[in-house]
Amino acid sequence: MKASYLIPHKYKLLGWILFVIGIISGLIIFIGEYDYDILKIKVLSVYGRDGLFGTKGFFKIIENSILDEIVALCIIAGGLLVGFSKERIEDEFIYKLRKDSLVWAIIFNYVVLIFAVLFVYNFSFFDVLVFNMFTPLLFFVIRFNFLKLKSRNDEE
Amino acid sequence: MKNRIKVERAELDMTQADLADKIGVSRQSINAIEKGKFVPSAVLALKIARLFKKPVEDIFSLEDQD
Repeated sequence: MKASYLIPHKYKLLGWILFVIGIISGLIIFIGEYDYDILKIKVLSVYGRDGLFGTKGFFKIIENSILDEIVALCIIAGGLLVGFSKERIEDEFIYKLRKDSLVWAIIFNYVVLIFAVLFVYNFSFFDVLVFNMFTPLLFFVIRFNFLKLKSRNDEE
Repeated sequence: MKNRIKVERAELDMTQADLADKIGVSRQSINAIEKGKFVPSAVLALKIARLFKKPVEDIFSLEDQD
């Protein structure tokens, strides 16, 4: 089974490293209430407000700690590398497991999101939005690896 | 769909790994096919049949619910 969107197997390890480091440091930033001043540099803001309720503006140079940006990109890049790099033996069975995991992850993610929409209010919902940027990938990677492990353990 | 891969393998004294190697799939795939958890594509079914030198119908057959 040829799947053109898959990248070579060698990127899997790099993916895992980025993904795990990203998630751990992401959780640390989350627990610390995003209150970090390190890596503060001037960045181009294509769209943004001055402060929480300021005026909207386009294409401004602002000061921003790029720590959270780096962490977010680590998680996304890592997750994509892990989920979409070839297995050691890439065949149609693995291809099916990957597809099934993707479908499962999307449905599961939105079921969780439905509950979050119903039961999480006000500014706490911001946390839901942040987590939801990464949960589709996270659920996919977990489900895919769970199914792979299961198929390995199912052997006689 | 049920199949006789396990029987055919036993007759030739092949392990799942041997078969997987010859066809270019993983051992897990052969295992999943033998257990009926995964229905192989026509291409893979034909490859397996060719390896056993038998028509596909001798190895794979439909079940009532198919």
